[in-house]
Amino acid sequence: MALETLPQALRENFHILGSKSIAMRVKDRGIWREYTWEDYFLKVKWLCLGLKSLGLEKGDKVSILGENKPEWFWAELAAQSAGGAAVGIFTDCLPSEVKYYVEHSDSTFVVAHDQEQVDKLLEIKGQLPRLKKVIYWDAKGLWSYNDPIMLQLDEVLEIGKAYEKANQGFFDKMIDSGKGHDVAVICYTSGTTGLPKGAMLTQNWLMLSVSEWARLDGWMGKDFEYLSFIPPAWITEQGIGIAGNIIAPMVVNFPEEPETVHENIREIGPAVLFFGARLWENLNRMVQAKMMDSTFLRRLFYNMALPVGLRYCDISGKRPGFLKTFLYLLAYYAVFRQLKDRLGLSNVKVVYSAGAAVSPDIIRYFKAMGIDIRLFYGSTEQGVMTMPRRGDMRPETSGPPVPWVEIKLSDEGEILVKSKYPYAGYYKNKEATEAKMVDGWYCTGDFGHKDEDGHLIVMDRMDDLKEIAGGKKFSPQYTEIRLRFSPYIKDALVVGGAQRGFVSALINIDLENVGRFAEARHIAYTTFTDLSQREEVIDLIREEIRKVNKILPDWTRIRRFVNLHKEFDADEDELTRTRKLRRTFVEDKYGGLIEALYGDGGAYRVEATVTYRDGRKGTMETAIAVNEI
Amino acid sequence: MVGIDPPIIEIRKLSLRFGGLQVLHEIGLDVRAREILAVIGPNGAGKTSLFNCINGFYHPYEGEILYKGKDITQLKPHRIAEMGIARTFQNIELFSGLTALENLMAARHILMRRGALMGSLFFGPARNEEISHREEVEEVIDLLEMESIRKKVVASLPYGQRKRVDLARALCMEPSALLLDEPMAGMNVEEKEDMARFILDIYELKKIPIVLVEHDMDVVMDICSRVAVLDFGRKIAEGRPSEIRSDKRVIRAYLGED
Repeated sequence: MALETLPQALRENFHILGSKSIAMRVKDRGIWREYTWEDYFLKVKWLCLGLKSLGLEKGDKVSILGENKPEWFWAELAAQSAGGAAVGIFTDCLPSEVKYYVEHSDSTFVVAHDQEQVDKLLEIKGQLPRLKKVIYWDAKGLWSYNDPIMLQLDEVLEIGKAYEKANQGFFDKMIDSGKGHDVAVICYTSGTTGLPKGAMLTQNWLMLSVSEWARLDGWMGKDFEYLSFIPPAWITEQGIGIAGNIIAPMVVNFPEEPETVHENIREIGPAVLFFGARLWENLNRMVQAKMMDSTFLRRLFYNMALPVGLRYCDISGKRPGFLKTFLYLLAYYAVFRQLKDRLGLSNVKVVYSAGAAVSPDIIRYFKAMGIDIRLFYGSTEQGVMTMPRRGDMRPETSGPPVPWVEIKLSDEGEILVKSKYPYAGYYKNKEATEAKMVDGWYCTGDFGHKDEDGHLIVMDRMDDLKEIAGGKKFSPQYTEIRLRFSPYIKDALVVGGAQRGFVSALINIDLENVGRFAEARHIAYTTFTDLSQREEVIDLIREEIRKVNKILPDWTRIRRFVNLHKEFDADEDELTRTRKLRRTFVEDKYGGLIEALYGDGGAYRVEATVTYRDGRKGTMETAIAVNEI
Repeated sequence: MVGIDPPIIEIRKLSLRFGGLQVLHEIGLDVRAREILAVIGPNGAGKTSLFNCINGFYHPYEGEILYKGKDITQLKPHRIAEMGIARTFQNIELFSGLTALENLMAARHILMRRGALMGSLFFGPARNEEISHREEVEEVIDLLEMESIRKKVVASLPYGQRKRVDLARALCMEPSALLLDEPMAGMNVEEKEDMARFILDIYELKKIPIVLVEHDMDVVMDICSRVAVLDFGRKIAEGRPSEIRSDKRVIRAYLGED
């Protein structure tokens, strides 16, 4: 019989691999504790039967609220074994949000991690009439609680064991009745507008698309080590962690605490890894900070090796020459290999990132070390859509579509998708499901374009786009983010408009880095304003903009720019306190300057009012050069 | 609960003098088996001196301290520690060059039975003993959420976390009474909240009495079952937090005469 569902595949692993090989590993009380396939299967079986005897029915939902731990995986598989679906909830949700997810998904059980999460549920249980039990696995701090709705996971396992004795063979029958089109997981989309929507994923999605994914990226059948770190409430962990664990199979390792990841990763040496953009940036910053505190000799070697590595990996397509290869090997064995070991990345084969943009500099940095970060594009509804391939990775794109997905762009530039393994619609929201489908294509709501070789570049949400003359759309934010990746650009405002034929930019130079650049070239300057208008600095920024322009579609390229005479400042309401640009306000404030950008060129005289910290206002007059690219 | 539990530490007419300075004056105080007792008072009231008498750093010239009915007034600090009274320090007393884990293992030496020779050979029974001690230490690490600082050198830790190691060190001695000298001094709100939660968890899990000196009145009122107030070496009040809050003598001691 073909395996249609994850529980069936888990049972298969139990029969074939049994107690011989390890399914998961968790660090607890300072020691890595192992669970074999037999352990995993039995826990799922007893938990499932326990839930069953507490009243779980086929088609019921079980919400799971906790950090990455084996219990999370058991709970999901237990729910699926009973023909139900799992609903992942993020641990940092407020009680009111938890209530929405549990209520909207009609969950009858919640499996929660610890006191923190149980407290939330006790606060809202009165408003959840369908909720039968709250099952928790970490009893710390809950010793004196005695709410009858609470039950410890170990107790449920015992109930399950007793149930099994009375009902031999029942569990197998339940697993056998599972079908590929059963809803297995409901993943709620964060929903920038309106309430979160629950995307239903079927067993087929988990089984088939993840198998193809695993084969595509070469982690199928390799028995790789994987570090489970991203929240399982997120579709990516559902794919790599929960399904990948059983299908590939991979050994899933759970860190002791979120704070101990860097330590734990080194103990494990995972082969497959997913880190968000922020984590890659943190790693990079950590290395730089540690190197600065290091001994002179180490710093010297590191500073010699890094440029060699960067130069080596910059030559794409062509084969690097003998000298470059030789130097790189030298740098690799002298520095990068040890560095990788320190970071716990010695054994990595496949590393992923998705979600937010990772700066190309960070990607190049790790590439120099011999680590290719695959920055892919996916969504809750459609799963993985594009994936960079080995040997053809480009830091600025998300790679070509995966074999089971077709992608086309609408006339407006929206990314449309047709997948062999789509989601099964939004839970209890047919309208929203249908609204997303146009002629059999799923509308992602994302704006992007393809480069000459079909690699997809995802730029922005359609809703955030701006227009230029001729009705073409462009994404100011995407360009601004890319500009900010430059060490010399601190902030940027990219403008266009329906009456304007091209895109322009207002640039804030980064005083520290540009200052250093100026010092190294013996360029004398007095103030920020003075520095920003130096010819050399304008040339420097022009080069940086040209680099960004290369990855932009023709009509969205920046044609003119100015270096602003002052920095954007939260004290002047130009930025929010979290340093986000207040676009409309700034566009108004610099209205005259922006007009000048679309004028005859030349210089523009500004008389800017400056608000000092004590509330006084002053005026400043400067000439700002309007520059062509 | 108050009033029913038998006292575990009994302090009778305790007086302490440094030269001509009367530090404690006829203090009488019971610590009951199930309570969190706060000792409060203005600076120099004698709170830490009282602690130092209980755990044997100071020996009073008058009065006595009974622990589980035994007189411990003149015992040495290490004897008292062995008998089960553990404490933390206002100024944190740890081996700052060792890691948090090593500090906690060192705290358990009073519970170790194997000699130095066996220990250094790390063989047979000594090894098993070490492992079982490490297990106990890991329980404490889990309880106080110290996983991420387990292998960090104490000197490199921020103040709030060093306080946590100090508390863990006291706990590792498996005490039957715990004295905490200003456990929350110098902490930010979040660290204080964590510490308060830990104190309650310890109280609930280990079922031991906890005595703490603390200046943060909100904390005292929130987590303590009883409060004793010292002023210039005298006990001026004792009772439930709500009673203490409205006690005229206490208000006067804190705010001065009007």
